[in-house]
Amino acid sequence: MALTLEIVTPEARVYSGPIDTVVIPTVMGEIGILPGHIPLITQMTEGELRVTKDGKVQILVVGTGFAQIDGDKVSVLAEPAIALEKIDEHAVETALQRAQDALKAKDALEPAEIERLESVVRFSVAQLTVKRRGR
Amino acid sequence: MASTRDIRRRIKSVKNTRQITKAMELVAASKMKKAQQAALASRPYAQLLAKILVALAPNTSEQLHPFLVRRTVKTRGILLITSDKGLCGPLNANLFKIVAEIKTPAKFYSVGRKGTQFLARTKRDLIADFPVQDRAPFSEVKVAIDFVVKQYLEGVIDTIEIVYPRFKNTLVQEPVIRPVLPLDNLRQFIESIQRHAGAVAEEEINSQRLFHFEPSAESVLNALLPFYVHREIYQFVLSTRASEHSARMVAMKTAKDNATKLVGELTLEYNKARQAAITQEILEIAASSFSSA
Repeated sequence: MALTLEIVTPEARVYSGPIDTVVIPTVMGEIGILPGHIPLITQMTEGELRVTKDGKVQILVVGTGFAQIDGDKVSVLAEPAIALEKIDEHAVETALQRAQDALKAKDALEPAEIERLESVVRFSVAQLTVKRRGR
Repeated sequence: MASTRDIRRRIKSVKNTRQITKAMELVAASKMKKAQQAALASRPYAQLLAKILVALAPNTSEQLHPFLVRRTVKTRGILLITSDKGLCGPLNANLFKIVAEIKTPAKFYSVGRKGTQFLARTKRDLIADFPVQDRAPFSEVKVAIDFVVKQYLEGVIDTIEIVYPRFKNTLVQEPVIRPVLPLDNLRQFIESIQRHAGAVAEEEINSQRLFHFEPSAESVLNALLPFYVHREIYQFVLSTRASEHSARMVAMKTAKDNATKLVGELTLEYNKARQAAITQEILEIAASSFSSA
């Protein structure tokens, strides 16, 4: 029985449809989901999410969030999520640069802000790594 | 009867007003579209969040997280979300009615200038107000949420309740008060968000599967609850924005229609006055030519 994958962000439903397997980046490392997985709820971290369908691999970069595996349904709650083809390398680089510059003045920032900026950095780096590896 | 010149002047001024309200209606309409989309787009997200909470519910107990602990309520914390600008019909006034009914001791927080002004005017215990731009970026709303949640954790307030206009559709915005914290009765609360999030399929509620949690149920809960509270309140702000622009568009449309009607009436009156003057003149000429003949 095929798996059904659903990826939603606060802005939109990014992915929805049947798939063969999916690899999810969690706080405890990457996990691969095949049909018949035990019901699982896990915390996600910034990284790449690989969807395999009919032998083809599609890569999405996701931010922090949660994933729920319930029977043959995989639901991913991510903030944000972006498909590989849609990554704008230049925009990501500037975002990364901005976040890193802001982080230099660490003492002046609130802890929550630092956390947010570091999350931006991690997400940006993940996007760049995935994008550049593809060549 | 007013002179023709006076009427002409009035017609002109009413036409000017109509022009302005028409422009404001168009602006509100385009903003409304965006705000409504933003408010509706996050619905699948809220549904999924609710589903995960449902799965977590059997694994929770009150002691696990400060958000779940029930306290005796001494001071309520009310976050009032309003628009920054007026001219949007009874939208804000309806919210103020709800606030006016709160008689128990409460501390107030405000997002939106109109609400701040109201709380100051009625001499309520206003602790802080937060400016949020029209397109309501999450980063700005987060500041407000973090502050209120901090006050809650420090025990300054014992509840967090949100007063905001719930967006139903373009014509209907319902002023409501919704308790956010504490999440004391998790099951009841989950049912309420399921209703709120819309149709979560029946079988999904019933399937009480035993889930495995990674890294652990506590850790997921600790991450999920603050995350949920942020999302929930942010959703209220988005809903407020959608309501605001809808209400303004409707109010401006009414104003425009009224102006059009008024112009019609005034034009009729003007034509009558003009015709009367002409008739008068002809009569005078005729009378003078008769008398001289």
